[in-house]
Amino acid sequence: MQRAHRFALGALVACSIAAAAFAAETPPQTAAKTQAPAGTAQGGAMEWKAPLQNKIAQCQGCHGIEGWRTAFPEVYHVPKLGGQKPEYIIAALKEYKSGERAFATMRAIASQLSDEDMEGIAKHYGAASNATTAETEKK
Amino acid sequence: MKPAHTLAAAIAAAACATAFASGNPEAGHKKSTPCQACHGPNGISVSPAFPNLAGQNVDYIQEALRQYKDGRRANPIMKGQAANLSERDIEDLAAYFSSQKGLETKR
Repeated sequence: MQRAHRFALGALVACSIAAAAFAAETPPQTAAKTQAPAGTAQGGAMEWKAPLQNKIAQCQGCHGIEGWRTAFPEVYHVPKLGGQKPEYIIAALKEYKSGERAFATMRAIASQLSDEDMEGIAKHYGAASNATTAETEKK
Repeated sequence: MKPAHTLAAAIAAAACATAFASGNPEAGHKKSTPCQACHGPNGISVSPAFPNLAGQNVDYIQEALRQYKDGRRANPIMKGQAANLSERDIEDLAAYFSSQKGLETKR
């Protein structure tokens, strides 16, 4: 992969984390001004409205690069998602969003995803891979 | 890329591969019977509730097992399964499942 591409992807991830942090700051003020019922801004970050392709682009910044590794707190290769069970991907994203799973980068990104986004992402990564092919052949 | 760089990169890649390939897939296969009950004998899981492991990155599987073992990652089933695994077991199991064909890096 070219350096410029890596940088662009890195920047994308950095932006999404910053966006999550910004979103986390915003809801209380909005809630106070409009006197929205308590609980609308629950859970910190607000969901980010954008086309699914933009949400998938966030995943690609790490999971789409062969051999990409985490930087902190431990260093290891990020998991391969192609061919993973869609239901498992959704469950994992929900655990990151709720904080049950504590990896900071995934927490920041998952907190902006709606249920619909998660379904779209799960469908994207669950489909068209060796694993699903193997599964289909077995039947 | 210059030939010298290519050579250096190849050596570095080989060194990394060796570092991650510390587990023994054969031994992992023998130890994997309890894992197979949910994750499948071929690493393709039997239910959507469980992730496929076939072809997953070896160090990611290791990290997940270590996190289950020490409680950083909380899951009632995996906590029990990982509790009695030694570091050797973790490396062998990760070597076994990562050697299977399945998951891939998808863009």
